[in-house]
Amino acid sequence: MDKIEILERVQEIFRDVFDDENLNIKRDNTAADIEDWDSLANINLVVAMEKEFNIKYIIEEIQVLRDVGDMIDLIYKKLELDNE
Amino acid sequence: MNEYKFNDINIGLGESFEVLIADGMMDSFKKITGDINPLHTDCNYAKSKGYTDRVVYGMLISSFYSTLVGLYLPGKHSLLQAINISFNVPVFIGDRLIVYGEVTYINEAYKQLEIKAFITNQNNKKVSKAKIKASLYE
Repeated sequence: MDKIEILERVQEIFRDVFDDENLNIKRDNTAADIEDWDSLANINLVVAMEKEFNIKYIIEEIQVLRDVGDMIDLIYKKLELDNE
Repeated sequence: MNEYKFNDINIGLGESFEVLIADGMMDSFKKITGDINPLHTDCNYAKSKGYTDRVVYGMLISSFYSTLVGLYLPGKHSLLQAINISFNVPVFIGDRLIVYGEVTYINEAYKQLEIKAFITNQNNKKVSKAKIKASLYE
């Protein structure tokens, strides 16, 4: 799976979590760009990504994420490791 | 009160308890919320709408999901974060309910559980269903 496909699937997760079908995310988006992106929404995003990509996070991985791009890169890395 | 810690939890862990719906609960709920809708307060009105008696407040029934999380699953170390509830069958004073919850997903990073829960009456009918998210402090 390439990063463009990951971004498309992550976008659907964001639309579902924030209940906004018109939401378009970009790699440099942060919590400051989406009004409802609070701590509970962040947990919902993480859980939804775990389920969507069949991966598991540890808290140390999440704490260093700065933006959507970092999220996508981490998913890509985890999927690559799974395939090795 | 149960005191499950995060490492004690596994998918499929379930807990339940029984509760009898008493008249006094309806009075207390009415006082707290100010909800004086006649469906809950006037027996004749409720009967005119096709029910056998006053209908118990749905949110009173759903308050037992708080008890489920806070006392049983996981218990003392919990923090309730979200509930999605449906009310499927009306509940009446005197009904004997079983509240049941089962862990369906565990998020390690945030120590959050997803719990599938439901409440059945004495006739084994599901009166309410819920999807609960709760985290653990320990």
